[in-house]
Amino acid sequence: MCVSIAIRLSFAVRCSDARNRTEPSSRNPLTPHADDDILMSVMHTMKLDFQEERLANGLKILTLEDPSHPIVSYQVHYATGSRNEKPGITGISHLFEHMMFRGSKEFGPEEFARTIQANGGTLNAFTTVDNTSYFENLPSDKLELAIRLESERLENLSLNQESLDTEREVVRSERKLRTVNSPFGLLIEQLFAIAFDQHPYQWPVVGWDHDLRRLTLEDCLDYYQRGYAPNNAVVIIVGDFKRTEALTWVKKYYGHLTPQPPLESPLAQERPQRGERRSVFKKVSQLEAFFAGFHCPGIKNPDVFPLLALNHILSGGKSSRFYQRFVKTGKAVDAQVETDPPPFWPMDPGLLQVYAIATPGVPIGDLENEIWGVVEEIQEGKFDEEELAKAKRGLITSFIMGLQSAFFKGLAGGLYTIKAGDYNMANTMLDSYEKITTDDVQRVALRYLSVDNRTVVTLQPITPEENERLEPME
Amino acid sequence: MFPLRTDDIKTSQLSNGLTVMGLEYHKLPLAHITLMIKRGSERDPQGKEGLADLTAEMVTLGTEGRDSQQLALAMERLGARYSASSGWNASFLEFFGLSEDFSSLMDLMGDMLLRPTFPQKELQQSQQRRISLLIQQRDQAEVIADEIIVQRLLDNTPYAHPTYGTIPSLGGMAADDPSSFYHRYYSPGEAVLLVIGDLTPAKIREEAERLFGGWKAKEKVDRQPPAPTRPSGMKIIAVNRPDLTQSQIRVGLLGITRNDERYLPFQVMNYILGGGGFSSRLMQRIRAEKGYTYGIHSSFQAGRIPGPFIISTFTPTATTIPLLEETVKVMEKFVAEGAQTKELEEAKNFLRGSYPLKLETPGQMAGELLRLKLYDIPFDYLSSYPETVGNVTLDEVNTLAAAYLLPKDLIFVVVGRVEDFLETLRSWGKVELIEYSEMIKDCSPANTSKHASTT
Repeated sequence: MCVSIAIRLSFAVRCSDARNRTEPSSRNPLTPHADDDILMSVMHTMKLDFQEERLANGLKILTLEDPSHPIVSYQVHYATGSRNEKPGITGISHLFEHMMFRGSKEFGPEEFARTIQANGGTLNAFTTVDNTSYFENLPSDKLELAIRLESERLENLSLNQESLDTEREVVRSERKLRTVNSPFGLLIEQLFAIAFDQHPYQWPVVGWDHDLRRLTLEDCLDYYQRGYAPNNAVVIIVGDFKRTEALTWVKKYYGHLTPQPPLESPLAQERPQRGERRSVFKKVSQLEAFFAGFHCPGIKNPDVFPLLALNHILSGGKSSRFYQRFVKTGKAVDAQVETDPPPFWPMDPGLLQVYAIATPGVPIGDLENEIWGVVEEIQEGKFDEEELAKAKRGLITSFIMGLQSAFFKGLAGGLYTIKAGDYNMANTMLDSYEKITTDDVQRVALRYLSVDNRTVVTLQPITPEENERLEPME
Repeated sequence: MFPLRTDDIKTSQLSNGLTVMGLEYHKLPLAHITLMIKRGSERDPQGKEGLADLTAEMVTLGTEGRDSQQLALAMERLGARYSASSGWNASFLEFFGLSEDFSSLMDLMGDMLLRPTFPQKELQQSQQRRISLLIQQRDQAEVIADEIIVQRLLDNTPYAHPTYGTIPSLGGMAADDPSSFYHRYYSPGEAVLLVIGDLTPAKIREEAERLFGGWKAKEKVDRQPPAPTRPSGMKIIAVNRPDLTQSQIRVGLLGITRNDERYLPFQVMNYILGGGGFSSRLMQRIRAEKGYTYGIHSSFQAGRIPGPFIISTFTPTATTIPLLEETVKVMEKFVAEGAQTKELEEAKNFLRGSYPLKLETPGQMAGELLRLKLYDIPFDYLSSYPETVGNVTLDEVNTLAAAYLLPKDLIFVVVGRVEDFLETLRSWGKVELIEYSEMIKDCSPANTSKHASTT
């Protein structure tokens, strides 16, 4: 019913290694003229023209009418995620997301989902470090139902010990599946735990198992009270509906709710890292791998854009540097730079990750060194305009592809509002991509991908017998 | 754009037999192009499992005029995405980019499809890459469970292997295998080109003619592989992985073909049993009431042959047996008491109401249109869907349940720490026990380099 990590937009990254380009092109798509063409058409026809409204209790409503397909996406984004947790209650945001399906005054456990589906809708929810989001995608004529049901569980959620105990076990099982028994889940957890020693990004969205075991009903009630208030939420409606009618419904079902004191942002700020941090994680595995993280800025910092271009240049697509040097040559099964694409990019400074999985027989240390060698090339400016232009083209195309469904347009509206304070960030993305220069890319590579700012966790494979001798992980 | 009508899809045929389908989509400046060859992994020769999928990739890895890197560069310069793969019944080359690049994208597709060179170096690299990925997959209990259940359900048929092949089969490919597969099966008479984009039908047809008009027709050489027979008698397979704290569980049976007239009633049955998320009986019983798992669902594949119907779930080791017992009880109850009218109506409402959600993007539309084309289902299926779903009766659903949900013929696969539940499994019937440590023997570096060097 939910996703404990940020859903990743399908986000194709495309770029290449300029040094090996020999192909004559009948039409170079990378000239400024061609890019301007796309940009112009995108700017004029693809603006996310949300209409904004705020109720007296602080509830923000963004609407975007599009009658071209007979569906509507209704979304409620709460500005609370694992960044709003504290040690002792880690994982409560995500656990709470589960509790939201466990019934309210009007509906029994899981009846919410059943009702939406029985009306032809699909629904889900997801929790990230910064937000908890709920959505229903429905036939056009069912919008009022979604509004009524979402407001009802916001106001009248039934929280009881039995539900908590059931969902606690469900979440622990989810944690086992997605983290403990997954090939790299525990490594990535260790990476964040070591890279951050102050900020809440140090713990996983799903939470630590010992916290999941001890969370109480009181913790849940307190969290509900603070986080699930109209003034901490953004309602999104995108698709085939009438704005005036929809606003009447939202006012009818949410208008009487009482605002709560604003939720406080995390007080802890991460201190600058002064020197590399390394660690080893032993696990039954057929392959060796390493996961590295570099502290990088939050979504509102303009360095996000050159960092996205850097990501493309290094590992976007089959013509990228990492693919050509490591995957194609058979040194690595996979080698990637990973950032959450906007609007999923974290609000506070997070980690740009670099990871590689070695082909059997290739020493992981050698592979890691070679990867840093490729990063150094960018830091030394050994890439050209055309390679950057390709990255920009890839970012622009991905942006356009992100506008195919009402659901993803709605996510952009909701998440930019929560993370960047304004949905209009979506409408400035293309311009921001366009402005990236090679100097910017070199500068962010030097500033953020430095050795001192790096944390590395290496997977050291062990046999099942050795595994038996180590304490089990939960 | 909704509902799609037969007339919206402009279908024509080139003189070489290639079917060309075009659908206008003007919401965004995009072009989605798929070339489907109606031959897939069911044509993998014995011992060469994975060849259809490997061939599809090889088509993108070198042409008479361009090497693999130049091809990748040409695509990625346009910001386009592309993939090449095979399913059981067809192989696909799929491009997605901006509509203003339509001609360039078609140039590239034409180049790959008509002038591939199958470079030896690329073949070796691809084999090695694929083998490494399979080694990595060996760490994933869910993949092991999926592979084993499909294999056992389709035993002794051309479908009893993963479309991506196995470590020994990939290692054993001969240098000319992909090109032989290509020459034998990639033929315009067996292919469909579908373009959905911000384009006119005339432009689509014109470009299809320009790029694919010269593709030479071939004689039809092969026959359909035989369909599998339904396994009878319960089978239990346990894979021992002592390091796991949760068991991966699959319960399976053999279902129906895609063009079976009971396809929609089957979907309704699946929704009620385990396909309907929280509305399903399995989710209700096993997760909501019992809390044994985070998720349990059933799904089925229906293609040219009756495909697998599989219930998938996982649970902490200690609840493995209770979960299996409850799952069987849910199925038995379905057979004994049938579905209720309310469940039937909910399932039908869901299928009807959510249909536009499944046909919103060019990629979604392409998937549905090609599936219909592949299994010879007329396009009026799209506009009559709500009515057809509406006509499904309780009787049809219950008849299907009684014929298919038979606990005595189920195949069970459990991957986990078997010492905690093996004894109970044995009390149910004969258990085929597989040691994970044996399974991964072919994954050692020494072995894999041996596989790769046989090329």
